[in-house]
Amino acid sequence: MLIEAIEAILFPGFLFTLGLGFLFEWLERKIAAHMQGRVGPLVAGPHGILQPIADFLKLLYKEEIVPGFADVTIYRIAPSLYFLAPILGMLFIPVAGIRAVATFDMDLLLVIFLLAYSAFVVVILSFASASGYTTVASGRLVLQYVSYEIPLVIAMVTAAVFSHSLSIAGIVQAQSTAWNILYMPFGFVVFIVALMAELEKPPFDIPSAKTEIVAGWLTEFSGRALAFLKLTKEVSLVFGAGLAVSLFLGGPLGPVPTDQILASVAYTAYFLGKLLVVVLLIFVLRSAMARLRIAQASDFFWKILTPLALAQLAFVITLGGM
Amino acid sequence: MIRSLVKKPDTEAYPFTKITVPERYRGKLDIDPMKCTGCSICAYVCPASVITMIEVGKRKVGEKEVPVKRPKFDLYTCIFCAECVDNCPFGALEMTKEFELATPQKETLIMTKALEKWQ
Amino acid sequence: MAEPMETRKEAGAGLIQYSTENLVPFGPIHPALKEPEYFKLYLRGETIVDVIPRIGYVHRGLEKAAEQRRWTQNIYMFERTCGICSFAHSLAYVQAVEGLTPYEVPRRALYIRLIVAELERIHSHLLWVGLLGHWAGFDTLFMWVWRDREIVLDLVEAIAGNRVHKSLATIAGVKKDIPDSMKNKIVERTKHLADRAYFYKGIVDTETTLLARTRKVGILKAETAQKLCAVGPLVRAAGLARDVRADDPYAAYGDVPIDVVTRSEGDVFSLLHVRLDEIVTAANAIDYAVSQMPSGPIRLKIPPNIPAGENASHIEAPRGELFYFVKSNGTAIPERVKARTPTLANLPTALELLKGQTMADVPVVLTAIDPCFGCMDRLSFVDLDSQKQWSWGGEELRQYGIKRYFPERKT
Repeated sequence: MLIEAIEAILFPGFLFTLGLGFLFEWLERKIAAHMQGRVGPLVAGPHGILQPIADFLKLLYKEEIVPGFADVTIYRIAPSLYFLAPILGMLFIPVAGIRAVATFDMDLLLVIFLLAYSAFVVVILSFASASGYTTVASGRLVLQYVSYEIPLVIAMVTAAVFSHSLSIAGIVQAQSTAWNILYMPFGFVVFIVALMAELEKPPFDIPSAKTEIVAGWLTEFSGRALAFLKLTKEVSLVFGAGLAVSLFLGGPLGPVPTDQILASVAYTAYFLGKLLVVVLLIFVLRSAMARLRIAQASDFFWKILTPLALAQLAFVITLGGM
Repeated sequence: MIRSLVKKPDTEAYPFTKITVPERYRGKLDIDPMKCTGCSICAYVCPASVITMIEVGKRKVGEKEVPVKRPKFDLYTCIFCAECVDNCPFGALEMTKEFELATPQKETLIMTKALEKWQ
Repeated sequence: MAEPMETRKEAGAGLIQYSTENLVPFGPIHPALKEPEYFKLYLRGETIVDVIPRIGYVHRGLEKAAEQRRWTQNIYMFERTCGICSFAHSLAYVQAVEGLTPYEVPRRALYIRLIVAELERIHSHLLWVGLLGHWAGFDTLFMWVWRDREIVLDLVEAIAGNRVHKSLATIAGVKKDIPDSMKNKIVERTKHLADRAYFYKGIVDTETTLLARTRKVGILKAETAQKLCAVGPLVRAAGLARDVRADDPYAAYGDVPIDVVTRSEGDVFSLLHVRLDEIVTAANAIDYAVSQMPSGPIRLKIPPNIPAGENASHIEAPRGELFYFVKSNGTAIPERVKARTPTLANLPTALELLKGQTMADVPVVLTAIDPCFGCMDRLSFVDLDSQKQWSWGGEELRQYGIKRYFPERKT
């Protein structure tokens, strides 16, 4: 029991996820910068690696301004509710072994629920801070959510169907012979694209479009709330990429030594390596494209991505039946 | 674009490295007091009212006694247009390449070289 | 676009009242605007139904200030109307003043003016392409284009001594020469920039997300452009071949051939192509001018008093037709200077273009006219009761100022 608690808090739970969140924020800024011919964070820590932590700390002590006609209760509570989702989700992703910290039989369903939950919390958040900009952002959020959720879930279900398991750890285990991506490459593509919409990365950063509606649903938040909202976005990246790795790239699987401790280290190393690959892919894609309008993004998801996901699912079902 | 990723970025690492500016760069103004005669043309043409002529003495021209003036430059107002430089008939003014002029006290940007050297 | 609004009440001379629930304020402070202006957007969902502007946020009273400075001092003041078209402003002013004098500007000076004006055009268009990328969410394009812009800025610095405020034009000439040693560098760099312009044209043509944001967005028809008196690349993208450099040549444009670039669709995509093509034509013009530059003096020294009279001059600034009017009473201080900047002419067109677009297109369309509110600002008054709109002249401003700040004074 104690071991599990330590695991949940330190590794691979809370602190590990937070650390990865900061690390990936730094990586994203550096990669985007170099692709644009710039340098990115430079001064805070070696190569600017402490920059995201510095930004977080700075936001913590800034003044929090609540807009006059906002719904104060929701405004105060919602950021913490939003923060819970990806942190909780990480507990079900196997990092240091075949089992995750809190694996149970149908945890994939819980994960899908968590994704829906965080989208709804954000919509409520942005309605609560009632300003012209956030209202437009709420509309865009709902529309974008409805568009990306279907292909995302279909892709996840495809992996589950093929691996005959509704538990993420089970899916990982079923990939010990071959990674799922080999059987469902389009499923992986669909998942990554829908994930970029969930994470609001360009070309889908429509709800928080900086140059159009100031900061979209983030506009009216400042100080600690903003610090946690931004942190949650980074942790969502870790969680989403972790999901991609577990469902399609075989999680932490790979040849491991027999010793218990060394095996955990090896598993973690594999997991981190694959995570890095997925994350780098997302960063390169995001720097390469302009932002779409919400109607165009919706169009893309419904007319192109969903049919692709369905086709992949059909393919996998027939394959599994053979 | 991937090529951009591995190429060296184009940002100059100022303030960690020094920047060289071209020959004609219009930086801080400088005066050669030996060449200044106090004709006041610079004060006349300056668009930003940088130059004030201060009387530093008197001399005799024939029968009359006329004041002798030298310029005082309030360089914090300067817009670096180089009108004074171009119009000085004696070539006493020039623009240096110094551009790091930010200072918390504007008194440091008052140039009174021409006044002091007059003796 | 012609939908009846349930909350609309006609109120007097064209001022329409809308319900404030669907009002999204764009500006005055907004990340999408470089300079503050207030645009009241009335939305229905995400579609814009009407835009009501309110300008005056960066009005500096330059025309009035010009009446208290000498002719030469004013050059530098008008140069600072705008950072991007600074040389254009000083050139138009100087040309207007020269028209009052009997002196003829030396030919070498005319060529140098052309070279620097075209360099400024390249700079402005590069800046604009980058900005459009930024407003469309394409930061990578923004950074790359601005890196090329650095080449132009360095070139200008080598010629004029400053990256932005060139301070080159003066009455009857230019202040600095372009020595032969610099000529090779200029030609080589402008050729590189022309190549980069072709590269960016390739990106604009193929990058799907950018195409989605710029094709068929903000379509301007030629008749609307003519009716609303639009100027500059905006009008050329709609199909009208209007360019002051070709229609009424000034500086050395009579000798140096300029291709006038036009497109026919009038959307933001064509604007991108028009401006990128203009970079190429500017590079060619610089090439030609550098090779054909005559020798001779670069300026004439003239007395400070300018003969009495009125004169107007117009030039093709990077954004469109820039127009200066000067009136002299024979002294060293002008009596009246008036500047009409291209952004002011394009603003009604921009507002018309915005109707029917979605909220997401607002920054793209507003940037399409290449706004420079610093240049354009005016002060105007709206009396809500009698629904009249008028402007104040100089004397009324002065009277108001005296009344407000010195209430005990009688004047």
